[in-house]
Amino acid sequence: MLTTIKPKGKTIFLYLLIPVAMFVFTVFVPLVTAFVYSFFEWKGGPQKTFNGLENYITLLHDNTFWKAFGHNIYLVVACIIGQIGIAFVLVMMVNSKLVRFKTIHRTFGFFPSTISAVCLGLIWNMIYHNQYGIINWFLRAIGRSDLCQVWLNNTKLVMLLVTIPLIWQYIGYYMVIILSAIASIDTDIFESAELDGANGFQKALHITLPLIKNTMLVCVTLCIAGNMKAFDNIYVMTKGGPGTASMVMAMYGYQVSFNQSNMGYGSCISVAIFVLSLLVIGGTRGLIGRLTREKEA
Amino acid sequence: MKGMSGNKVKKGILGFFMNAILIIFSLSCIFPIIWMLYSSLKEKRAFNADIIGLPKNPTPGNYIRILTNPDYHLGESMWNSVRTTTLSILLIVLFSFIVGYILARVKFKMNRVLYTMFLMGMLIPIHSLLVPIYVVFQRCKISNNWFTLILPYVSFGLPMGIFLVEGFVKSVPVSLEEAAAIDGSNFSRTLWMVIFPICRPILVTVAIIQVFSCWNEFSFALVLIKDVSLQTVPLALTQFKGQFASDYPKQMAAMLITMAPIIVLYFVFSKQIIKGMVSGAVKG
Repeated sequence: MLTTIKPKGKTIFLYLLIPVAMFVFTVFVPLVTAFVYSFFEWKGGPQKTFNGLENYITLLHDNTFWKAFGHNIYLVVACIIGQIGIAFVLVMMVNSKLVRFKTIHRTFGFFPSTISAVCLGLIWNMIYHNQYGIINWFLRAIGRSDLCQVWLNNTKLVMLLVTIPLIWQYIGYYMVIILSAIASIDTDIFESAELDGANGFQKALHITLPLIKNTMLVCVTLCIAGNMKAFDNIYVMTKGGPGTASMVMAMYGYQVSFNQSNMGYGSCISVAIFVLSLLVIGGTRGLIGRLTREKEA
Repeated sequence: MKGMSGNKVKKGILGFFMNAILIIFSLSCIFPIIWMLYSSLKEKRAFNADIIGLPKNPTPGNYIRILTNPDYHLGESMWNSVRTTTLSILLIVLFSFIVGYILARVKFKMNRVLYTMFLMGMLIPIHSLLVPIYVVFQRCKISNNWFTLILPYVSFGLPMGIFLVEGFVKSVPVSLEEAAAIDGSNFSRTLWMVIFPICRPILVTVAIIQVFSCWNEFSFALVLIKDVSLQTVPLALTQFKGQFASDYPKQMAAMLITMAPIIVLYFVFSKQIIKGMVSGAVKG
């Protein structure tokens, strides 16, 4: 802390006024508002009627919402395995002495994560398209046109189909994070392991993974936070459909609030999204923290 | 000797597969862009007849049609996105610097309170604000304006920026500011003339991270912007999806135009961008 120059309180106040006011206005005021309106029946018009916990009781029995929550969890799990798992395997390959073009793999691999979810959703819509999509083109090319279908209309497959673009988009992102963590490991460790006769697989599992544990933890947290808020690509690709087969929480909150203009219940859903996301993120953090500590002890 | 050569063959095969897998992965990451690039040069009929082949008579027709038709509002959307992104970045960098520095160095009563508040800002699931922010902005009559989106973009970008700056400032020795103070420099002068130049690298990192998230942001734009003339690029693209329903080459041309700034920026500065994004993700 500064001791020699102590700025006047007024100066500090003036410097902080705008950013703090702006932050409070756009983050905390809406949160409080949502909490208040979640106790009202409000269809978006001027009339609001207090109805106590009714919205919350409805929410507890709202199958669509819980299904949407389940889909968020599905996305989280699929992306932790898909994005971070695949990224780790690819990193092990990139780091091998046998592999060339390392910089190109990094640059190209990272690229999709800089593109907007809207663009990627549109691109994958084209890939899945019934008539002009690449998948059906490929199936026809190998003579299996019987397998062609309107992919995103398939209730059973749709969650998987909207997850694939998400996984694909961020593999490179996690790859680069893991790569930079490995780069900071002392190479002596690998050399001595090699002298002891460890193969690539053993090195990855027993040396690299424990050493980059903290980075992997960051990756998992990022992955959870990112997928609890899934919205953009679902909105572009399926709008939660067919029916509610690919509904996620944010999409449902949007539909209830804006398509059905049920703002009271929409606010209640927003509060639920807030609480559930925090619980999932906090819960896994605690769980991982505990697991890793036990291992050390 | 025999064992040695067997080992070599094994290594060769392993190397071949690893290279092949990585090349396939890398190609898959840029293939969509390349597919769009050459397909956008096809007329609709040519594309529908052969979706994967290279164009036989490449034509810029789609680009000309999109850019000259004012009904598509593409130019306007680009301008809106450029303006919103630029102003948001400037404010995020400015505020992150000021708040981050003050929180790191100045002792005052509210210091820890504000610190915790911004820390909470990082934990808050932003998407739960989607509906409430609409309600509040509608109430205050500030939704659907040219400046509307700057508010959430700056506020959501601030916490990470503040923590990157705060961490950075703490690694700078205090003696610098003390020397400046002895030379008679006041707080503001030291802040802008001494600290700001030192913080430049971290501020560049903050800007890099935010450029992409502001340019690509969709959900809050969807909720807060109603006028076609005020929409940002991602919003415009979802409109095109309806308008150009099955005219894929035209959709592709529109997407490529809106992605062009990002693609150019990325491939020119990829090294700095990757570095900046990673340090932001790990530290933030």
